[in-house]
Amino acid sequence: MNFLFAVFSQTFRNLLQTWSAQLLTLLTITLSVLIFVFFYLIYTNVLHVGQQLDDDLRLIVYLDEEPSKEMQEEYRRKILKFDRVDKILFVSRSEAFQRFADQLGEDRDILSDMPDDFLPSSIEVYPFRTLDTLTKIKRFSDYLMTLPGVLKVQYGREWVERFYTFINLLRLIVILSGTLLILTTTFMVANTIRLTLLGRQEELELLRLVGASTNYIRMPFFLEGAIQGMVGSTLGLGALYLLYNWIKLHLAVSSLMLVFEFTFFPLPVVLIIIGISTLLCGSGSFSSTRKFLQL
Amino acid sequence: MVDLVKVSKTYLPDITAISDVSLSVNKGEILFLTGKSGAGKTTLLRLLSRIEKPTKGVVEVAGCDLSKLAPGKLQKLRRSIGVAYQDFKLLEDRTVAQNIAIAMEVSYTRASVMKMRTKKLLKELDLSSKYDTLASELSRGEQQRVTIARALSGNPDLILADEPTGNLDNETTAMVMDLFKYYNRRGTTLLIATHDESIYRDSDHRVIELKEGSIINGNTFPDDTVNDTAFTPEENDSAAE
Repeated sequence: MNFLFAVFSQTFRNLLQTWSAQLLTLLTITLSVLIFVFFYLIYTNVLHVGQQLDDDLRLIVYLDEEPSKEMQEEYRRKILKFDRVDKILFVSRSEAFQRFADQLGEDRDILSDMPDDFLPSSIEVYPFRTLDTLTKIKRFSDYLMTLPGVLKVQYGREWVERFYTFINLLRLIVILSGTLLILTTTFMVANTIRLTLLGRQEELELLRLVGASTNYIRMPFFLEGAIQGMVGSTLGLGALYLLYNWIKLHLAVSSLMLVFEFTFFPLPVVLIIIGISTLLCGSGSFSSTRKFLQL
Repeated sequence: MVDLVKVSKTYLPDITAISDVSLSVNKGEILFLTGKSGAGKTTLLRLLSRIEKPTKGVVEVAGCDLSKLAPGKLQKLRRSIGVAYQDFKLLEDRTVAQNIAIAMEVSYTRASVMKMRTKKLLKELDLSSKYDTLASELSRGEQQRVTIARALSGNPDLILADEPTGNLDNETTAMVMDLFKYYNRRGTTLLIATHDESIYRDSDHRVIELKEGSIINGNTFPDDTVNDTAFTPEENDSAAE
C-alpha cells in the first residue's frame, strides 16, 4: 500500500463518515461560487459591451472657421499639451458635408439645394479608452472650449458617465462577492475540518501512537478541503451555465440580446476559477489542521 | 533495546509516579513488570512509548534518547513498537479488522498482506468469526485480544503490553502468552506489565516488582544468558509475509 493510496482511502473514508457536515459545506461553497461567478459573468459581458461603445467615445470640437495647416498644427499642439490622446482628426466643411450625405444614403437628395460648406469644420479628439479618461473628460471638454475659434464641444457626457458608474458598481460587486467567496470557503472548510478533528480525537491520538507520519495524518484533511473546493466550484459554475442557457433561451428575442453578444466564460477562465477554489479550500483546511492538530 | 537511567516522573502538583528508576532490557528478552495498582507500571510503559516525557533521567529505546528524538524519527520508532493498552484504545465505530489494520496502514503495508496478517492473528487469538464485527459489539475480553492483535500486527521489535490478560480466562490467557512467546522466539522484545502472577510464576524470565514508583525487587540489568540469536526486523517481515 503506497502513501497516495493510503491517503486517498483515508480521505474517502472520512468524507463518508462525516457526509452530512460535508454536504452543508459543499452547498455553501457552491452558493458562494455561484454568487461570485454570476456577477463576474455580468461584469465581463458589460465590459465587453463597454469596449464596443468605447469605439465611439470621442470629443467633437466645432470650429467657426476652416483651420489652415499652421492652425491645425497649433490646435494639435494645444490639445496634446492637455493630455496624450489616441488620435486627432480634422474634418473640413466639405468632409462633414460628404459624411452627412453618406449617412443620409438614399435620402441624400434633400441636400441637393444646400451649399457643401454649410456644416462647420471640426476636430475629432479620440481619448485613450481608459477609466482615467472619464474623470478627465469634463475638464478636457472645458479646456477645448477655451481654444480660439471653438464654437462648441460635444460628447455623450451623461451617457458615458452613467455607463462608467455602472461599470464601477459592478466592479465593486465583483470584488465584494469575490471577498465573500474567499471568506466563506476558507471559513466553512476550516470550520468543517475543525469539527471533524474534534469528532475524531480518539482516532487521531491512536494514529499518533502507532507512529503515523505527519503527512499521513494531515494530507487527508487537505484533500478533503481541496475536493470540497473543486466539487463546489464545479457545481456553482454548472448552475451558472444552466442559468445562462435559460436566460439566452428566454431573452433571445430581447433587443438588448440582439445588439450585444452575451457570452459564457471561456474554458481557461472556468479552469482558473475551479483551480483557485480548490486551492482556497485546500489551504483553509490545511491551516485548520496546523492550528488544531498538535503534531 | 530498552534503557532507563535514573528516571523519575512527577505529575502536578506533586504526585510521584516513578522515582529514580534505572532499568535495562536486552533485545529479545521478556521482562515482567509487577506491582500493585498505582505502583508505576503503566507510567513506565507510557514513558517507553513517549506518551509521557520523564521529569528527570534518560529513556532510551533502540539506542535513541526519546526526549531528544525529532518528530519524524519518533514516528518511525513508534512504528516499530507495538503497544497493547490497558484501556484498549479501540475505535468503536470500526470493525475488528479495521482496528487491527491501522497499525499496518501507517507503515503503508500492502492491502493483501494486511488482510492475511489480520486473519492469521485473529485465528491465533480465537477471534476469526469477529473479523467484520464492530469493536463496540465485542466483550471486554474480546476487545483486549483485538488490542493485542493490533500490537502484534506490525511485526514490532518491541511489544509493550499493559495488563494484557486482565479480562481473560485461564485458557485464553495461556493462548495469549503462547503467542507472545512465539513472537519473542522470533526476536521481539516484550515488556509485560501485569497483576496476574500466573503468567510469570513459573517463567524463567526476569520479573521486576515496582512499589510506589520504585523498583523493590528483581534484577534491573539482564543476565548474560539472554537470547542473542534474535531475528533482525527484516527477517521478521519476510517470515511473516
